[in-house]
Formats: sequence, structure tokens, C-alpha cells
Amino acid sequence: MSENIVILMIGVSTFLGALGLIALLWGVKTGQFDDQSKFIDAARYDGEDELKDAAMMENKKKARQKKREEEKQKNYMPPD
Amino acid sequence: MIKEKENDKELNFCCKGCQGVYHLLNSEGLGTFYDKLGDTKLQPASQSSEDLEKFDLEGFKNKYIKTDEDGLSEIHLIIEGIHCSACVWLNEKVLHKTDGVIEASINYTNNKAKVVWDPEEVKLSKIIETIRSIGYNAYPYDPSLQEERATKTRKDYYSRILVAVFGTMNIMWIAIAHYAGYFTGMQQSFKDILNVAEFILATPVLFYSGWIFFRGAYYGFKNRIVNMDTLVASGALSAYIYSIYAMVTQRGEVYFDSVVMIITFVLVGKYLEVLSKKHAVDTLDSLMGSTPTEVTTLKDGIKSLVSIENIQIGDIIELKPGEKVVIDGTLTSGQGSFDESSLTGENEPLYKQNADAILSGSICLDSVVHYEASKDVSSSLLTSIVNLLEESITKKPHIEQLANTISGYFSNIILLIALLTLAGWYFWNGSFETALIVGISVIVIACPCALGLATPMATLVGISIAAKRGILFKEATFLETMAKSKLLALDKTGTITEGKPSVVKAELFEDFDASLLLALVNTSNHPISKGLASYLKEENDLLQHIVLENIKSIEAKGIKASYEGKKLLGGNVDLLKNEGIEIDANSENSLFFFALDNKLVARFELTDTIREGAKEAIGQIEALGIKVVMLTGDHEQSANKVAKEVGIKEVHAKLLPQEKSALINKFQSSGEVVVMVGDGINDAIALAQSNIAIAMGQGADVAISVSDVVLLDEKPQSILEAYKISRRTFRAVKENLGFSLLYNVIAVPLAVAGFVNPLIAALSMSLSSLVVVGNSMRIKMIKFKDNQ
Repeated sequence: MSENIVILMIGVSTFLGALGLIALLWGVKTGQFDDQSKFIDAARYDGEDELKDAAMMENKKKARQKKREEEKQKNYMPPD
Repeated sequence: MIKEKENDKELNFCCKGCQGVYHLLNSEGLGTFYDKLGDTKLQPASQSSEDLEKFDLEGFKNKYIKTDEDGLSEIHLIIEGIHCSACVWLNEKVLHKTDGVIEASINYTNNKAKVVWDPEEVKLSKIIETIRSIGYNAYPYDPSLQEERATKTRKDYYSRILVAVFGTMNIMWIAIAHYAGYFTGMQQSFKDILNVAEFILATPVLFYSGWIFFRGAYYGFKNRIVNMDTLVASGALSAYIYSIYAMVTQRGEVYFDSVVMIITFVLVGKYLEVLSKKHAVDTLDSLMGSTPTEVTTLKDGIKSLVSIENIQIGDIIELKPGEKVVIDGTLTSGQGSFDESSLTGENEPLYKQNADAILSGSICLDSVVHYEASKDVSSSLLTSIVNLLEESITKKPHIEQLANTISGYFSNIILLIALLTLAGWYFWNGSFETALIVGISVIVIACPCALGLATPMATLVGISIAAKRGILFKEATFLETMAKSKLLALDKTGTITEGKPSVVKAELFEDFDASLLLALVNTSNHPISKGLASYLKEENDLLQHIVLENIKSIEAKGIKASYEGKKLLGGNVDLLKNEGIEIDANSENSLFFFALDNKLVARFELTDTIREGAKEAIGQIEALGIKVVMLTGDHEQSANKVAKEVGIKEVHAKLLPQEKSALINKFQSSGEVVVMVGDGINDAIALAQSNIAIAMGQGADVAISVSDVVLLDEKPQSILEAYKISRRTFRAVKENLGFSLLYNVIAVPLAVAGFVNPLIAALSMSLSSLVVVGNSMRIKMIKFKDNQ
């Protein structure tokens, strides 16, 4: 067994582990682990309905943004 | 029971409220809620539309609502009534379906919600109404007070722990290869690879995860204190530097594994402390959030809503039934019962009339009264209690821990010895390199391994034994503090006694339908009624649900109602005398009479009973050499009666919450380590002030969260057991510390003399750890007298 193989094995496995660690850190930062109890039950609330619901909220947000932009354009006055 | 047919399916509802909720959910397409519930039983839905307008008031807006530059409003709410994840799901879904709500997320752990909405499309009162319409309630809180900071610290620790655990686990398996190589022989080139890999993994752990210890050590240095942080930081850093040196020069062994181990274990311990603080913050928010922001004032006969900050001394305030008092004052007109349980711990409502003092924190139960403000809001009792609690959460007095003190001295001495060794070897040997290696090896071998393990191992065993017996210690160090205590302060109501009246004597003069009486007492929230209700349910198997008519509660006296032409009357002596019924009312207990058509049919005596085994437990605690005192908000007579029965000699009665705390403080300033046991909001400040606070498992949330120990089974015997376990554990801690010091006394001179090679270090270290673990396991053999 040459040194290179050992380096490769340690390097690759540590790198893969580090990817997992980075994902976890990202999860903590974005608040996905703020609620332990909800997190445990997450699988029960991960279906078609929830996806639809999320899409609905997304649309709501978009609709509002659009509305605001339209309002801005309406109120827009070119400088004299 | 309400019955209804729907598509050949028979539906049963307990009340109109639940029926309404069911149809609302089905029409919204959220009927799967009932499938998601599982075995969880729901409370009957109560619907109220009172005080909705307060959510749109200006004062409320300024205090709780944030508006961003996009014109969206944001509020943080605490949702009341959530008991399972289906509730969370339902609330979120209903809010999502409300027009104008942009974002709604609810935290299941602490029932806190964040709602973002467009104020042009929907009003906050409408959102609250929606939550109420499905049977929950919501009130606001201000997250910037405590929560934001607490959440940030928690996340910060969490990230650091993740990095530390990742580093430790990976270094461990590399270290296994290392050790295997050491005993079977390994080429230097492979050793170098493993060393470099460990170095890469250990660096972020030491400097990112261990940053907290460097910071602590720096502050300690600035204040000239050597603390545990100093020891951890210096130990880890010196082992790290030594390992780099060994790696570069290819001489000796690296100790990166012990560097990360120390950091990880001590960090996890610190994190647990942060968690318990976060919980306390949650309950404090709910206490503040339930207080009104506006009160109704009367000026020249005109009623107006005024924000509580603008109330001046002398203003006349109107109280409606069910309202919480936020400003102290004296009653000017009207009369009624007040629930002061959050102040005195006594469940019995107090009857107040003209010129009586009204205390903030109490709740007006049954009538409309007017009173004159005698203080402004900031100096009122409720505000000062909350402020005191907030302070005490951040500044809890802890006596210095033995392990901390010893390791403080220890690290000083070791650092000194290491320096002397370095100087000595350099002086005698002449080679700086050898001197450095020997000097650092002194620190490495004396490194907190055995010493660090001495306390946590013993306390871990102690905590797990306690937990098996229903005694939850929130932190390991509390065992040590408790073992040093010689003074136990007990609250009366809810701690020594059951805290709720129960029937001790029942006299039935005529046969009657118990279901009638149950229906009557169920209409009232008075503790006597509740005590009677639970007695009736226990005594009778078959009780029907009866709906009474013309229910009328009479202030501080009782309840009147009618059923199928019969006149029902239940209450105290005054009520029956008013109706012209003459009765014997001679008893030291609380009395409840029941009359049907003006004829007395039953007489019940109720009293707050003393918990089983209280007397024996208190006697045995005193036999351990601990002084027991009683602190209560109740009046002297009943306090003395209970004290006499359980054998407590020192009684302090008629204490307000802050007076209890002041008394604890007085004990402490005379050098006592005080253990306090309590259950209510009224005990919370005193609990926070005491060195060790023990709360009853059924007690108020605030009391539980500020306390250090929770007794799940609420038995007085558990207090005794807690004492025994903590003393036994403390003994084991002392033994462990003694042993690890002995180990160091032998190993350090060897290291100073330069005899320590890695084999001896590895062997002696694991051997010393084994001894410490084995000694800690002996705690499990502790005997409790009661089960012998």
C-alpha cells in the first residue's frame, strides 16, 4: 500500500464528511433546527398537501410583490 | 352531547364550540386534522370575541408590531392551547389560507409564532379572531427582550458543537490507526500522513469551537481569575503546540485527539446550561404577554381606553370579570372576589370591598369594580416581579464549585511546575529542545483528563439515578451545591399540602342525583367547586351530562341554577342564609352546602390536605442535620396549623413574593446555602434567588423553568432522596478528585524527571480514567430506607 492511497482515502472520506457538516451548519444557520419537536414530526407533514400549501404561499408573496411594483409604476412621475 | 347526521355518519360533539370548529375545518378542506390527531384528546373549544379591538389600538401597535420597508407588518405571538403537532399544522394552515397573511410559522417546542401580513389587506384583530375561531388563543410578546439573544447564543453553540463533534469523531478513527501502528510498528511516512490529517481536523475544533474558552480565559485573565476556561484553553493549546512540534520534527507522539476531546466534552456541558436558560426565557415571555396593554379608565363619567404607561396615580380604573389587574390600587366602588393565587399561592379567592387594596397580578373573578390607582405601572407589583425574575435568570447565585476551585489552583501549580522544569532542564542539560519537550510533557500528562472526568462522571451517574426516581436535576453542578446545603425552605400550599381543597367529610341528608350537583359545580372555576367535582367523579360511576338553566353565580357566595323546574342552590353559609335556610356552619374547614328547592340535601367539608409522608420526610431531612423552615403567603393561623402537623418549627407567614425572596437573601448573607421548594408563580422569585430551587412537577410553568430540580411525583419523600443522592454523589466527586490528584502527584514528578514516554502516558491515563469511572458507578449502590 503506497502513501498516496492512504492520503486519498483519508482525504475523500473527510471531504465527504465535511460536506455533511457544511449542510448541517447551513441548516442551523437558516433556522431549520430551531424547533426540535416539529423537526421530529416533520415526516408526517411532508406530503402533497404541504407542497401545494407552500406553492400557494409562494404565489401570495409574488402577487404582493407584483402589486407593489405596479403601484410604484403608477406613482412614478418623470422628473421635470 | 350534541348529535348530528352527516352522510350516514353520526357525529357527536361535546359543545357548540367544537361543532363550529368541525364545520369550519371541513369547509376549508382541512378535515384531515382529525386524522392527524391520533390519540390526542382535545379540550372543548371556547370562543370569545372580547377585547379583539385591543389588537388594533395604537399603544399595542407601537409595542409589539414591527413594520418593514415593504409595508409588511410582523408580530410575534404565543399561541395558547397547542398540545400536539396537529394543532401546529392546523394553525399554520388556517393562517396560510387567510388573505393578506404572507408568512406564518409556529414553533412547536415553545408555541411561539411569527406572523407576517399585509396591513392593507387584513387587520391583526382579524388574524387573532381566526386563531380564536378554531379554538386556540394568541397573545403577543416582545422577542427583543430576551429571546433574540437566547436563540442566537443557542445557534452559535450548536454550530460550534457540530464542528467539534465532527472533528473528534474523525480524529478518533485516525487515532485508532495511530495506536495500532504504535504497537505493531509503522513507517514514519504513514505516521506523517496521519499526523497531518489529525492536525487539519483539530485546527478548526480548537480555534472555532474552543473560541469560547479562549474568550473566557481572556476575561478571566483581565479580572485576574484563573477559571476552568483558563485550564481548558491552556491545556488544549499547549497540547496542540506540542503536537505540531512533534509532527514537524517527527519525534514523539501527537496529542491532537486529546485536544479535541477536551474541547468537545466541556463545550457540550456548557451548551446544556444555555439550553435551560432559553427555556426560562420562553415562560417569562408568556407571563408578560398575557398582561393587558390598555385599561379602561373613568374620567368625569366618560370611559376610555388608556395605555397602561399613561396611567397616573389617582386615576379611576374599571375592571371587568376575568380581567387581570396590572396596576396596584384601592377599591372605590363595587365588590367582588379576586384570585390572588399568583401572588400568595392560595387558591381561595379573596372577597374585596370598599377601600381594600387591589394588587396587580391578581384576577378579578366575578364582578365589575372601580378602583383608584395608587401606583403607576412601573412600580406596580406585577412589573416589579417580572423585572426581578428577568434579572434573576441572568444572575443566579451559584456557589463556587469544588472542581472549579481545585482546577484553578491546579492549573496555576502545573503551569508553574512546567516553567520550572523548562528552566531546570535548560540549565542542567543545555539543550533547549529537550527542555521544551519535557516541559510540555508535564502539561500534557497533567492535562485535565482525569481531573476533568472526576466530576462529570460521578454527577452523570447521580443524575441518572435521580431521574429514575422522578427527580430531574437540570444541571450536574446542582448536585454539588445541594450537597453543601444546610437549610431547606418549604412553601406551604402545593408543596407541603396538595394545593387544592379536597372533600374530607360528606354528609348526605337526602338522596339526590349526583349528576345535578356535578353540573352545578362545573359551572364555576372556584377551587372549592373543582375539588367537589373531582370528589363526585371519584365517588359515582355513572354521571350524566346535564345542561342547567338560569345559571347565576353570586359573588363570593355560590351558584344558583334551575333544572326542570327544580331550584338548585350550591355555596357557602351566607348563600343559604340569604335564601332563608338555617344551617349549622361550625367547622374549621371550608364548607359547601347543596340545596334542592330550598331544602338542604348535602353538606361537604373541604380542606387542603397535607401530602402523604410529609411528616416522615421532614423528620428524616432534619435528622440529616438540615434546618427546615416554612415560607408561605397564607395567614399565620393556618400556616402554624400545618407546620405543627408536619413538625416544622420555624414559620414565616403572610409573605409577598418579593418578601420571600428577601428572606432567602437574608439566609444567604448569613452564610447559608439555601434549597427552596415551591410550586407557584408566587414562589418564582424566591426560587430564582435560592441556591437550589426545587419545583413540583405540576406547578406553574414559571416556577418550573426557574428551578434547578423538578420533582415529577411531587412526593415530599423525593426531597429527602434528592438530598441523599446529592450527598452521595458529592462524596464520590471528592474521592475522584482525590484520586486524580494522587495520580498527578505521582505522574507529574516522573514527567518532570523526563521519564514519561507515550506508552506510560497512554497506560496511566486510561487506567486513571477507569478508576474514576468505576468509583462513580458505586453511587448506584445507594440505599433508600423506604424500600428496604
